[in-house]
This record gives sequence, C-alpha cells and structure tokens, in this order.
Amino acid sequence: MTNQTKAGASIHRLGPSRRTVLVGAAAGATTLGFPYISRSYAAESLKFWQFYAPGGGVATQSKWFEDMVKSWNDSHDVKVELVYVPNNAYMDGTKLPTAFASGAGPDLFIISPGDFLRYYNGGVLLDLTPFMEEKAREDFFPGVIANRMVDNKIYGLPMEVEPMAMYYSVDAFNEAGLTEKDIPKTWEELLTVGKKLTNDKRFGVLFETAPGYYQNFTWYPFLWEGGGDIQTKEGKSAFNSPAAVQALKFWQDAVNMGVSPRKPLGGGGWDVVPNLASGYCAMQNVGIWAISQLREGAPNFKYGVFKLPTPPGGKYATVGGGWAFVANAKGKNPKAAGEFCAWALGSMSPDSIERVVDWCTKAKSDMPPRKSALEQGKDAYNKGFLKVFADDIYPGARAEPRVPPPVYKAISDAIQACQLNGQKPEEAAAAASQQIDAFLAGYKGAPIL
Amino acid sequence: MNDGARATLQLELATLRPTRLALHLVGLLLAFTAVAPLFWMVSMSFKGANDIFGVNLVPDHPTLGNFLYVFTQVDFFRYLWNTFFVAASVTIVALFFHSMAGYALARLRFPGRDAIFLAMFATFLISQPVIIVPLFILARALHMLDSYAGLIVPSIFNAFGIFLLRQFYLAVPRELEEAAVIDGAGYFRVYWSIILPLSRPILSALAILFFLANWNSFLWPLTITSDQKLWMVQVAIASFRQQYNASWNYIMAASTVVALPTVVMFVIFQKRIIESIKTSGIK
Amino acid sequence: MVNDALRSDASAIPAARKAAGFRLSNRQREWIAGYLFVAPDALGLLIFVGAPMLLSLSLGFFSVSGFGAYSFVGLANYRRMLADPLFWQSLRVTVLYIVMLVPALYASGLGLALLIQADTRFNGFVRTLLFMPQTVSLVVVALVWQVLLIDKIGVLNRFTSAVGLGSVSWLGDPHFALIAVVVVSIWFLMGFYMLIFLGGLQDIPKEYYEAAKIDGAGPVASFYLITLPLLRPTSFFVLLVSTVTAVCGSQTFDLVYVMTRGGPANTTSLAIFYVYQQAFLFNEYGYAAAMASVLVVVLMLITVLLFMLTRGGRFTYE
Repeated sequence: MTNQTKAGASIHRLGPSRRTVLVGAAAGATTLGFPYISRSYAAESLKFWQFYAPGGGVATQSKWFEDMVKSWNDSHDVKVELVYVPNNAYMDGTKLPTAFASGAGPDLFIISPGDFLRYYNGGVLLDLTPFMEEKAREDFFPGVIANRMVDNKIYGLPMEVEPMAMYYSVDAFNEAGLTEKDIPKTWEELLTVGKKLTNDKRFGVLFETAPGYYQNFTWYPFLWEGGGDIQTKEGKSAFNSPAAVQALKFWQDAVNMGVSPRKPLGGGGWDVVPNLASGYCAMQNVGIWAISQLREGAPNFKYGVFKLPTPPGGKYATVGGGWAFVANAKGKNPKAAGEFCAWALGSMSPDSIERVVDWCTKAKSDMPPRKSALEQGKDAYNKGFLKVFADDIYPGARAEPRVPPPVYKAISDAIQACQLNGQKPEEAAAAASQQIDAFLAGYKGAPIL
Repeated sequence: MNDGARATLQLELATLRPTRLALHLVGLLLAFTAVAPLFWMVSMSFKGANDIFGVNLVPDHPTLGNFLYVFTQVDFFRYLWNTFFVAASVTIVALFFHSMAGYALARLRFPGRDAIFLAMFATFLISQPVIIVPLFILARALHMLDSYAGLIVPSIFNAFGIFLLRQFYLAVPRELEEAAVIDGAGYFRVYWSIILPLSRPILSALAILFFLANWNSFLWPLTITSDQKLWMVQVAIASFRQQYNASWNYIMAASTVVALPTVVMFVIFQKRIIESIKTSGIK
Repeated sequence: MVNDALRSDASAIPAARKAAGFRLSNRQREWIAGYLFVAPDALGLLIFVGAPMLLSLSLGFFSVSGFGAYSFVGLANYRRMLADPLFWQSLRVTVLYIVMLVPALYASGLGLALLIQADTRFNGFVRTLLFMPQTVSLVVVALVWQVLLIDKIGVLNRFTSAVGLGSVSWLGDPHFALIAVVVVSIWFLMGFYMLIFLGGLQDIPKEYYEAAKIDGAGPVASFYLITLPLLRPTSFFVLLVSTVTAVCGSQTFDLVYVMTRGGPANTTSLAIFYVYQQAFLFNEYGYAAAMASVLVVVLMLITVLLFMLTRGGRFTYE
C-alpha cells in the first residue's frame, strides 16, 4: 500500500519527466545516434513561412524580411522566426498543405488571392481588423484590399501590387520597321503588329499557355475589358457572355495565326529573360516584376512597356496580383501573429509605411498597396518604367479574383481548350459557365470577388 | 597459342569484324542520343544569365561564374555532404534488409510467406504524395522532424528492392544452400557466406539505383526538414527559383555538379554487375 | 524430404540442442529464420508505408477540408468520381501512356542490355553514357528537352524545317504533347531498365550459350531459345514494375509536372497528376484518396493476375 501510494505520488511529481523519459526512449529507439536527433521544438517563437528569406535568391528581398523581423524581435517579447521554403514548393507543392493537414501550420505565412478562399473557408485566417487603426485600414486602396476582406473585415495585408502589362523589344520593332507610334492600342492592332514581328526565328507576342492559376490571372483582364465577369451580383455565373467569348477567341486567334507560341521558354509566360530578352518573342504579356528581372538578367536589353490593348467598344483594365501577410487563426499565438502583421504592413507609423515603400521600390519593383506609400515613394514612381506603370497602367487595375478551385478549373479548362485545342469559344464559355453554376449552387463559403 | 588456335582466332576476328563494328556503331549512336540533351545542360552551366536560352550550343562567353556562385554564395558543400550521408546510409541499410527479406521470401518456408510478400508488394502500388500527410504526422510523432533520422529511416523501406531480390533468389539454384545446410550451417551463416556473395551483381545494380534515388530525392527531404542546415541538394537547387525569376544558369551549374557523383557510382559498380560469378555453374 | 532426412543425420548442432533439452524441429528453425529475416523490412514497411497508405486510402470515405475538418460521406466521393469527366480523361491518358511506354521500355531496356553486356572497356563506356539520363534531376530533364522541343527554334524543329517537314509544337500541341512526354520518359528511364536486364542476363549460365553454339545455333536462335525463356523472371519483373511506375510512379508525376503541368488542354493529365491536383491544389483530400484507392485496386488486380499466371513469379527450371 505504502509502495503504491509512494509510486503514485512520485508519478504525479515526476509527470513531465516521465513523459520526457518516454519521449527519450522513443527517440532513442527510432533514431540512429546522429546529430540533430531530437529537437525540442521551440514553442515560443512564431514561425513565418515564406519564399524570400533567409537565404532567398534575391539579396535585397531577403534582407528586407530579415531587417523587419529583427526590428520586431528587438522590441517585442514574442519572437518571430523566418522559415524559407523554395518558391515552387511553396506555391504548388505539398509542404503547406501537409503542414496544415497535420495541424502544424505555420503561425505566419503569405498567400496569393487565388489561395484566399481555400484558407478562409478552412477557418485558418485570423481577422486582422482589430489590430489595425481606422486610418490604416482606409490607407489601403479599396480595390487592392477588397479581395482579402470578408464582411468588411480584413484577413490579409497585401505587401505589393503587381499589375500586368505588355513589354516589347525595341530592336525587334526596329527590325520590322516599327516605331513607338505603332504600339498597339486594340486587340486587332496587337495581332497585326504581332504578325509583322513574327518570322522564322521569333514569335510576335507571347501569352502564358501552361494551365495554372497564373494563366487564369493573366487572362482575366481580357474578360473584364469586354465588360465581362465571372459572377453576377446575384451569385450566378456570368461566364456565358460575349465578353468571355471574345476574350477566349482573342487568345485562340493569336495562336492560330502563328503569332503566339504554344509553349514559352524557361519557366513560363512569367519568365521574361528567356522569352523576350532572348529574342524568342517580340512582345510579351508579363507583369511589373519584369523590370527588376530584366535589370538583373539582361541589363543591356532595350525594351518598352505599354498598357494592355482593348477590344472594340471595350474599356481598359488590367489585373493586379500580389501576396499578403496572413496570421494562422489556429496557430499557437494568434494574437501575437496578428499584431505582427499589423505592425509590419498595416500601421500608420512611419516605419511601417517606409517598410512598404522599401519593399515596392527597392527590394522589388512593384506598385504599393497603400496611398501613403505611393505618396512617400513618389520619387521612385516618377522615373523610368515605374512611371509608366504609375501613370498609365496601374489606374484601371483590378485585384486578382479569388476563386475557389472548381471555378478556377472550369475557367482554366475553357482557356486551354480554346487557346490550344481549337474548341469553339462559345461552346467552351457555355460549358465553363455550366460548371460554375453547378458549383455555386452548393457553395456556402465567402463571396468570390 | 599454337598455330591452329591462332588461325581459328584470326578467322573469327575476320568474319566477326563487320557485324561487331556495326553493333559498336549502333551502341555509340544510342549512347549519343542518350547523352546529347545533356550537352545542353553542361553548355548552359557555362553561360551567363542573359544568353542561357540562346540557340548556340557552345557559349559565346563561357564563364565559371555560375559554379563559383553555387559554391561560394550557397552552402553547397554542406548540402552535398548531407545528401551523400543520407544516400549512402539508406543504400547500405536497405541492401542489407532487402536481401535478407528477399532471400527469406524466395527460399525459406514459413506460414504466411506469400501473403506477407503480397502485402509488402502492395505498398509499392502507392505514390508518395498520396501518403505524405500521414507519413509526416507519424514522423513528427516519432520526433524525426528536422533530423538525419527523419531523412534516412523512412527512405529505407521500399518494396521495389525486396521484389527484385526475391525474383533473383528464386532463380538461384538450390544446390548451393542445400550443401551448406547439410553441413549444419545455420540460416544466417548460409545467407552471409553463400547467398550474399552470390548476389553481387544484383546488389551492385541495386546499390546504384538506391543511391541515385536517394541522391536526387526532393519531396520527402523538403517535407521533413525546415532547417536549411539539413537540406539535400535538390531542395537547395529548388531555392534558385524565385517567384518570377529563375536563375537557370545556377540551376544548370548546380545540377551538373550534382550529377557527377552518381555517374561515378555507376562507373564503379557497373563492372561488378557484369562480372559473371563462376559459381553459377555449380561444380 | 531428402533434405530433412539428410539433416536429421547431421552434426553436432542438433545433437547439442537435444542435449540441452531444447529441441526445435528443423521446420521450426526455418520458420523462425524466415520471420526474423523478413522482420526488419516488414516492420519498416508496415510503419512507414502500410499504415500511412491505409490511413490515406480510408480518407476516400470522408470529406476532408485539409484544415482538420473530417466528415464521413460514405460513397459520395466515388460517385463523384464516376461522374467526373476529368477523372475519365485522366484514366484515358494513363492507359495511352502505359500502352506506349511499357513495351518501349521493355524493348529498349532489353535491347540495350544485350548490346553492351559483354565485359569490354568499350561497352563499359557506352553503358555509362546510356545510364546518364538517370543521373540528372527532372528539373534538368524538363529544361534541356524544352530547348530541344520548343516551337520554331527548338533543335528538333529546326531540323525538321530544314528537311522540309515543317515544325510542330511538341509540348504545346494536344496531338503531340503526350507523345513528347512518352519519348522523354523513355529517354530518362531506359538506363534503369537496361541495368535491371543486365543483372538478369548475368543469371543465364554461359555454358548454355556455348552448348548452343556447338550445336550450330546462331545468335538469333540462341536469343529465342535460351535468352528469352531464361529471362522470364526478369521480364516479369520489368513488365510489372514499369506498369506500376507508369501509373503511380513519382518520376512519372514529376516529369509531367515540370514539362506540361498536365496540359495542353488536359492531354497529359495522368491519373496520378489529377490526384495530386485534387489533394494539394484543391484541398480535396477525400476525393483524391478515393481516386488513389481506385488506382491501387486496379494495380493490385493486375499484380495478382500476373502472379497467379506465373505461379508467384517462380520460373524455376530444375
């Protein structure tokens, strides 16, 4: 009896250490006696998963993250730790889904608009509104923050806005006897000019052809320019429209006329150095990031930028992508995570605004998501190609739609079928619209924008 | 060699030469088609970022800059070491375990043997991405995250090797073992002294394949480690791609370097595969 | 029977055991040895593959959000699968892929192995070159083949244009993309199967060939009468493994992912690629698990059939 009580008491007292013994035994049994055997998981610091730092490919971008985190760690008790995940693995890979599915999702991470609904509907995004002051909330351009908001609450803070535009090779234009006056303003002009620039070594204009969120993203402006949309205000599919048909037909014509390649070089339509700069194409539909990419990878390449052409009777539009900081509502310390997001990007304090300006003008070449940042960075936005973006291209930018995967797939299939498989655009649009309607009928998540 | 034999040999050579030559040429042609695309890999490693997709095979301005970057700006030696350590460990342990299991499944008789084999084979029919979530949860529960153990242990168990070795042992003539068993040797002695040496060709082939598979593995190392100090080479190469920018020149240079050790492995082991073990004709 | 009789007469060891009063029959010794030999792998496979596999596949009966929400839905995922045109498209693509790839890999693996099986330095050199495609990662494979196959300025297209055949988008045209993926798969995998066949060819005793030559058989006859029959175990192995790899191999998935992303227009969307999309891009783990379990069941049926036809893979000739 005494022994039992003693044992019982000692078990109570030894509670944690008994567990440690068991853990140690398990670890010892399953590991092979090498270094890094058993990590005691540092439960205090918040893990921030992204694809920039530490040690990411671009030193300025990596440094921006590291400086930001150091600044936070110096002034706060709860520390933030950067975890680098290679970009491809982050975006299309299994690492994030695996972590979330096993309940070990990161405390802080970044998402694109395409992912927003997946995470929001899974209940993983923390409402950041309480951590931000009113002025800060209004400082974000409404068009930019709209697709991270549900019911007037902010769930993600954008770092940047990356509008799509058209880039052209000055040398290719000169060779074909074209000048700046010939820069196309309508879809028809784009195809005609493209035809003049096409020869046996080069294509006239390059659009993305690989299926994926990115291809959809680059195609949406052409839908919008014709006045089309994915969803009506009543929540039904708006895809079966003349605007969708003409946008699908535009890309189909480009390929069928031989003006557009069926496959881009390098990583895809977003990769400007292997395509435009190498002479594979004379014009390329690519985003603002191409400025810094060309600066690094082809510094002697002469190019120009112009805004997307419009269809007859259409209105100029472009799409703005860009990633946002989000906090894991199911993380170990959501409050601290939310505070971090607001402190980093969503505060009216000068260092927060400065941080946004630095990211958009020094680390990257992007448009800022906040009015104060645009104002503060006006020196950078008044020169060179950033000026073209600020003046011509950005006004008229709509935020990237956040569509749930079945809607994404329906639209992607329609684009692929028309662009590459010769299907009639009317049929493709109708089929996609049907699928979208079928999905929307049973959909109960946050509104698609 | 006497005159008669020499004459026969010369006659053989004379008559065989055209066919042998033709076969040699065919072999060379096939080898060329196998290797030709890789010329571009090497070519791209010596090109700068701006002309890497240029149509010329020989770089206009060859540069060593890519290799320098890969080894100085990135902890690539460390990643090479990590990968070698993991791949070698997995290969050695796997060869040992799989040859034991393959031998037992082929030669020893025990209840449930074929059922066990089928169950093991069934695990070959699943693809890694499908099981990765439960496997990750399990590895986390076993405290294998961010550790060499996590990289090595799960990678050992794969039914392919067991299947191949069982197939091989099924074809080995029984007389050898029976002779040993009659002499009273225990099963482990038989395995160690007779079966293992006999399996040198197949074990050499598997050594190459296991090493290669683990050397180039990407998905599992990426999933199980977040600590960059534990990275394997393919994960490191993936980090040369950013969101809208891919340093193809670094990727090609690093990949050229990464391909070399496996080529060396192959050169070393392929001879052992070809050595016909004279004991196949049992005296 | 003979063995047992011989063994029971045997030496000190059984006698010692008898003396110690601890007697195991030879059969029991064999059982224990069998289980012990198989144990490490059996345990490892059970823990690290078997259990995750059963867990994953059982998710086919659930609707899983990927963030911790599970709800039992019975056969709903399977019914959805039957009505999903993309699932059927993926199956179609997979069958086409298998039909083109497996015979080609068999023929090329065997052909190459036969070609360079003699133990000469020249052959060793050629063998290394033939194996080199296996040594590079699939990112590299995709990139170098892109340079070869790209529209208009790719090496292949420049060649076909020069000889008057025009040019084709090998990776961007729905009619050619799957063929291109098959060709690249063969290029990449043939070294692997060459190696397997090399190992298998070593099994065949040289005396048989010598005897055949003495009897006057030419190389072709030797091939049909000696090589092929004695290669049956290896052939069986290669056919089964290449089929399984074609359906659910990681390298198959990786190749499609980096080269075409399942496009153009879903013409290279292999079943395993579609499963991956559903699981990791769309967060539909339950649905993906249902599809994966169908693939496993089909492969299991093929396996069992082949094993039954070949009496468990036993091709003994004694």
